[in-house]
Amino acid sequence: MQLSYFRRVAAGGAVAALAFAGVGALTATPAYAATSKVSVVHGIPDTPVDVYVNGKKTLDNFKPGDVAGPLNLEEGDYDIALTKPGEPIGSAILKVDNAAVPGGANISIAAHLDAAGQPKITPFANDVSKVAAGKARLIVRHTAAAPAVDVRAGGTPVFEDLTNPNEAKGDVDAGNVKADVVLAGTDTVAIGPADLNLKEGTATIVYAIGSAEGKTLGVVAQTITGLHSAPGGVPSGDGGQAGTGVDTWWYVLTGAGVLLLLGGGVRMATARTGRK
Amino acid sequence: MTVRNRGALAALAAGVAALTVAALVACGSQPAGNVGAEKASTLASTPPATASGPSVPVTAGELPADAAIIPPVRLVIPGIDVTATVNAVGINERTNEFEVPPSVDQIGWYRHGPGLEADAGSVVIAGHVDSAKQGKGAFFRLRELNQGDTLTATGSDGEARRYRVVAREEYAKTKIPLDRYFARDGKPRLTLITCGGPFDAKARKYRDNIVVTAVPA
Repeated sequence: MQLSYFRRVAAGGAVAALAFAGVGALTATPAYAATSKVSVVHGIPDTPVDVYVNGKKTLDNFKPGDVAGPLNLEEGDYDIALTKPGEPIGSAILKVDNAAVPGGANISIAAHLDAAGQPKITPFANDVSKVAAGKARLIVRHTAAAPAVDVRAGGTPVFEDLTNPNEAKGDVDAGNVKADVVLAGTDTVAIGPADLNLKEGTATIVYAIGSAEGKTLGVVAQTITGLHSAPGGVPSGDGGQAGTGVDTWWYVLTGAGVLLLLGGGVRMATARTGRK
Repeated sequence: MTVRNRGALAALAAGVAALTVAALVACGSQPAGNVGAEKASTLASTPPATASGPSVPVTAGELPADAAIIPPVRLVIPGIDVTATVNAVGINERTNEFEVPPSVDQIGWYRHGPGLEADAGSVVIAGHVDSAKQGKGAFFRLRELNQGDTLTATGSDGEARRYRVVAREEYAKTKIPLDRYFARDGKPRLTLITCGGPFDAKARKYRDNIVVTAVPA
């Protein structure tokens, strides 16, 4: 039983390798930024692992529900392997060879169950563009062995008909929302409700993980900070009492001064000529 | 001396007097100028990130909890006779601008940025210089602050924190580097903002922003 489970995991690896290439194609690669930020999200219930990157153990006893990273990885191809804790890399339970990490991207690699309950690895490109001042980004990823779902905030569906392994996202007012996950088109709550504190200028990524059948549904959250924007301006006065410019009367006074000087000078000159 | 001559002399004298007054006024209405601009920009810079070591940070993927932020509730600046209530404010939905409290004797703390507890970044408080309807605002004399002046911000926890002014800058609103003043990284600092510079009476707008930067004393 255990053995067949691990075989299925290895099969998932092949799919994941293809998916990795997909991320490379989707993510724009600015020439100036060669490193990418890579996080790893563990969403397979009851299966702690060691994570190897290019044959080197990078994470020890990585537990379900944990998020590792971000790691700064140079643009390039990476071999990633997951083993049972303490086991050699040769007996990896999930493997991805030559996973392409594009430059200048922010990627989350999720180890999770597919809709049918098979373990797999899915890379997601994280939207780390700036959010407007006062806003927060909410990204929800369906990485659970469960059918299509709706995500509700305050009882109102905000993301509908989300399926494994896809994401839905939106920029919303920063603050607290009560969110839950229901089976698509129904009021049958699958996960939650939970209070979400969406902090301004961050992206909160919520992964639905586990299995509906195994009654292990839950969430893992990852937060990306530093996406804030400054306000458009600071309007702080319309009285004019503190104005430092010169008013119209200044120009009148200056003009009059110049005219008087010229006029006086001319008169003096003509007076002198007159005396001669 | 002829009458003609006397008249000419009087005209000359009046001209000189008029120009002198004009020159004095022009000098007096010059902005006080920037001090400590370099210091302010140094505070905002962050040291380059250290290369990631062998250990990878691992966190429990729990839903983000409410952060314990300490909002400033009172600001006292003895040098310019300011004692003001500080309100937590955000963004005006319509204009995308800082929501400065409408009451000119109150000032606003940008609640999306760091609070007084933060060990990095810029705590921003903005207030009116004045208002057409209400007259002078809490920050009317902000531009008189100088390097070394002290101020005290009291947090919601009741603790009074002292700050020392290191810079005073004036920027055209079209050129002000707001990202730097609303940064959440760099050295911990308090940034006070109001309006200043020439006033456009038609648009009822000041051209500039006055920015005072202070560091924990």
